[in-house]
Amino acid sequence: MTRHIPVAPDRLLKSIFQQPVRPFSIRTKLLLIALALLLFPWLGYRYVRETKDFVRAGQEQALLLTARAVATVLHDRPELFVRDDAAPAAIGAERHLYAYPLPQPIRVDGDPDDWGTELERLARRPADARYEFAAYDDPDSLSFQYLLGYRGNNLYLLLQVKDEAHLMLDPRARRLDAGDHLRLIVRNPDSRIDRYLLTATAPGPLAVYAVGPDWQSPLDSERVSAIGGAWRITADGYTAELRIPRYLITPPARLAFAVVDVDDPATRAIAHVVESAPGTEDEAPARVQLHSPELARILKGIARPAARTWIIDRAGRVHGVAGSLLVATPGADNPAGELRDFSDDVTQRTDPFLAAVLGGQPRAERRAALDAHGEILMAAHPVWSGEEILGAVLVEQASDAVLADQNRALENVMRAILIAFALLTVALLAFALRLTQRIRRLRDAAERAIGPDGRVRVEHIAPEAAARDELGDLSRSLSGTLGRLGQHTRYLESMPDTLAHELGNPLNVVNSSLDNLQNLGASTDAGTYIARAKNGVNRLRAILTSLTEAATLEEALRNQERTRFDLNDVVAGAVEGYRLAHPQTPFQLELPAAPLPVDGAPDTIVQALDKLVDNALDFGYPGAPIVVRLARDGGQAALSVANAGPLLPEKMRDRLFDPMVSVGKKKASQSRLGLGLYVVRLIAEYHGGASNAENRADASGVEVTMRLPLVE
Amino acid sequence: MSRRIAIVEDDPDQRANYLDALTRHGYEVRGYPNRAAALTAFRARLPEMAILDIMLEDEIDGGFDLCRELRALAPHLPILFLTARDSDIDRVSGLRLDAWDYLTKPVNLQFLAVRVTSLFRIVDALKSPAAAPEVLRQGELTLEPASMAVKWRGTPLNLTLTEFWVVEALARRPGQVKTYDALMQVTRQNLIEKNSINTYIRRIRRKFQEIDPEFDGIQTVFGLGYRWQQS
Repeated sequence: MTRHIPVAPDRLLKSIFQQPVRPFSIRTKLLLIALALLLFPWLGYRYVRETKDFVRAGQEQALLLTARAVATVLHDRPELFVRDDAAPAAIGAERHLYAYPLPQPIRVDGDPDDWGTELERLARRPADARYEFAAYDDPDSLSFQYLLGYRGNNLYLLLQVKDEAHLMLDPRARRLDAGDHLRLIVRNPDSRIDRYLLTATAPGPLAVYAVGPDWQSPLDSERVSAIGGAWRITADGYTAELRIPRYLITPPARLAFAVVDVDDPATRAIAHVVESAPGTEDEAPARVQLHSPELARILKGIARPAARTWIIDRAGRVHGVAGSLLVATPGADNPAGELRDFSDDVTQRTDPFLAAVLGGQPRAERRAALDAHGEILMAAHPVWSGEEILGAVLVEQASDAVLADQNRALENVMRAILIAFALLTVALLAFALRLTQRIRRLRDAAERAIGPDGRVRVEHIAPEAAARDELGDLSRSLSGTLGRLGQHTRYLESMPDTLAHELGNPLNVVNSSLDNLQNLGASTDAGTYIARAKNGVNRLRAILTSLTEAATLEEALRNQERTRFDLNDVVAGAVEGYRLAHPQTPFQLELPAAPLPVDGAPDTIVQALDKLVDNALDFGYPGAPIVVRLARDGGQAALSVANAGPLLPEKMRDRLFDPMVSVGKKKASQSRLGLGLYVVRLIAEYHGGASNAENRADASGVEVTMRLPLVE
Repeated sequence: MSRRIAIVEDDPDQRANYLDALTRHGYEVRGYPNRAAALTAFRARLPEMAILDIMLEDEIDGGFDLCRELRALAPHLPILFLTARDSDIDRVSGLRLDAWDYLTKPVNLQFLAVRVTSLFRIVDALKSPAAAPEVLRQGELTLEPASMAVKWRGTPLNLTLTEFWVVEALARRPGQVKTYDALMQVTRQNLIEKNSINTYIRRIRRKFQEIDPEFDGIQTVFGLGYRWQQS
C-alpha cells in the first residue's frame, strides 16, 4: 500500500533546496538534460534569423528585379537622359536650370494662374535655396524669382520681378535697351551664342529680337517669332511669361537669362542687370534640365505605394521620382504611415552605393532611413545604352513592412518555444523530484527496516509496494529480501531461547537427579562430588540465563512501567549493595548535591549499573578502587563507572556495546558472553540516552559512561 | 493415609526424579506423561494435589488446558505449576487459572517438598479452621499464615504461596530492609535472579493496588532490596 502524501509547495521548494545536491544525483542529471533543452529556443532563434535573412535576400532580389525591369524600359533611350560629355566629373559643380512638366496648357499672357501647382514650387523652396536673384548694390530696387516648366515642345519661363519703377520702352527710342527688358542667352552645342532681347512698350505681348553682344540693336529687322512672351504689371513690379521652343535648346545647349532694369526716364541708362548665371553670361549659361515627359509617363506606370523609384543619370542627378515609402503600420509619430526620407525635391543622389551601380554593377543594400526610425532597402540597376551607362534606376522600399511581419512571426515562434520549454522543464523537474522523492522514501524505508543493531524491524516496505514500475519491483524485491532476512534473524534470535530450553530439560534432569542423590544420604566423598556436579550445573544454568537475558530484557522493557525517580537515591542504594556484596573492593561514590530526576524504570537502571560494576570488577586490578560517579551534564545525567586496569584496545572501542563482544582474557571460572555492555546499551537507549566507554585521561584504566536525559 | 499427588510431566527422567523425591517424603505420587492420560486418571479419581508442567509433549499450553479442566472437576484442588517457562505472560496465565503457586525449573527437590507440605497444611487449615489461628496484623494488613489468607483493609487478596511468603517476610519486620538474598531464601527456589524478585514485588504491588490504588506499603531500597512501610 502506498500512501501519497500531498506535498505543500513551500515544502516542495524546501525539499528541493535543502536536499544536498550530489554531483551526479538523478535530479542533477535530469536538470542537466533539461538544460540541453535550452538549445531549442536557440535553434528556433537561429531558424527565424535565417528565415529572416532568406526573406530579406528574397526581398532584395525582388527589388532588384523591379529595378531591372524599370531599367529595361529605359535601356537604349539616351534621349531620356541628357547627354553631356563636357559635364564636369564632379557632381553638383554645374549650374542647371530645372524645367518641370506642366499639368495644363499655358497661355503666354503674363498671368501665372495657369501654372497651377507648379507655382507652389516657388513658394516651397527653402529660403537659402530660393531661386531669387537681386541687384547686389540695391536689392530692394530689383529682384526676381523664376520658374521653368515645359509642356509639349515648348519650354515656359515665368518671372516674377520686383521693381520699384517699371519703366517700359519708349516707342520712340532707337535703342532696344532704353527700358526694362529681359535677355535670353543660348549657347549652342557648337559654342555659338544666340542672344535674344525681349521688350515691349506696354503691358501685354513682348517683342523678341535677336541681338548682338552689345544688347542694343537687333541683328535682323525681323522679330524672332519662335519665341513668345508677355508681361503684366503687378503691385510691386511685373510678371513675365516666356515661351521658348525646345528645339532652340537641344541638349547639350545651355540657357541663361537676365532681367534688366532701367529706372531713370530721362537718361534711360541701365540701372541693374540681374542674371540667372551671374557675372559670366557668355561663358557659363546653365544647362536646362528637363524632366522628361516620357520618363514621367514611365514612372507613372511603375509608381507603387510601398516603393519609390528614382531615375538618376550618371552624375547622380535625379530625373524622376515615383511612388512613396509606406510602412505597414502608421504610428502616432507618423500618421501618414510614410517613412521620412529623401524628399521628392532632392535633385541629386550622392549615395556611395550608387557609384558602384553606375560602374555597371546591379546592387541591393539596406540603409537607415534619414529619420533614423526605419530601415530602407535599396536596389539599383544601371541603365545601358549599348556599352555606355546612361544612369541608374534606384528602387527603395521600407523594409519595416516586411520585417514587422517577420518579427511578429519570430515573436510567436519564440513565445511558443519558451512556453513549451517552460512546461517541459517544469514537467521534467516535477518528474525528477517525484522520482528522487520516491527513491528517497524507498531508501528511508529500507534504512528504517533494519535497525542500527542489524535486526530486521519491518519485513514489509510500504512505499512503492503497489507501484507497477521498476521502483515497485525494487520495493517488492526489498520486501522479499527483508522477509527472508527477517526469517533468518528470527531463527538466530530464537536460537538462544531454543538452545536454553532444549538444554534446560536435560539440565533439570541432572539437577533433580543430583538432588535425589544428595537426599539418599550419600557418603562424604560422594557429597563432595555431588556438590561439584551441582556447581557445574549452576554455571551451565548461569550461561543459559545470560544467553537469554538480553532478549528477556528487551521484552521486559517493552512492558515496563515508567515512573519518575531521583537517580541519586538509586545509585546511592545500589552502591551500598555493592559494598556489602564485594567487601574486598573499595567503592568510591561521587554524587551531585541536587537531585537528578529521571523518567524511567529504576530497576533497569540498577540492572545496568550491576553490569557496569561487574564489568569493572572483571577488568579491574583486584582490590583497586572502583569509582562510581554521577554528575549533571547539561540536560543529561552522566553515570560513570571507572576502574584501574588494562586499557581498551582502540579497534574494539566502537563495538564494545554490541552483543557477543568481549575483550580481555577469560578467567577459567567465569563465563563471559559479552552481553553485559549490550544490556547497558539497551537500558540507556530505552531511557533515551546513550553509553560509551573510554580510557581514562591519565591512561590508568577504563571509564564507562551511561547518559540519561533528565526531566525538569 | 498418605496424601495423593499427581505429577504431569512429559520428560520421563524428571518425572521419575520428582516422583522419587516426593515418595521419599511419604506421599503417594502418580506420574502422567500427557494431558489425556492425566485427565482419564483424574476422572476416575481425583488427586489431592496436582503438579503440572505447561508444555506437554506436542501441546504447547497443555498444562493450562489441563488446569482448566481440572478446576472444573475440583474447584478447590491445590494446583502447582512447575515449568521451564518463566515469562510474565505464562505466570499471569497460570495464576489466572487459580493455581496456588507457579514455580520455574530448576527446582530444588528439597524446596519442592517443603512447598508441598506447606500447601497441604493450608488445605488442612482451610478445612478445619482452628479456634484462634495465628493472625499477623500490620496496619491495614492482616495475615493468617496457616491458611495463607491475606487481607488489606478487610478485603481478601489472592496471593500465590511464594507471593504470600514474600509479603509475610516483609510484614513481619516492618521498616527493616529485606535484602535480595534474604528474599531469595524466602521464595525457596533454586537459583533466583534479582530480576525475579523485582517481578514478584511488582506483581504483589499490583494485586494490592487493585484493591487500593494508593497502596505504597512496599518500599524499594535501590540496589539492596525492599522493606514494609512502617505505618
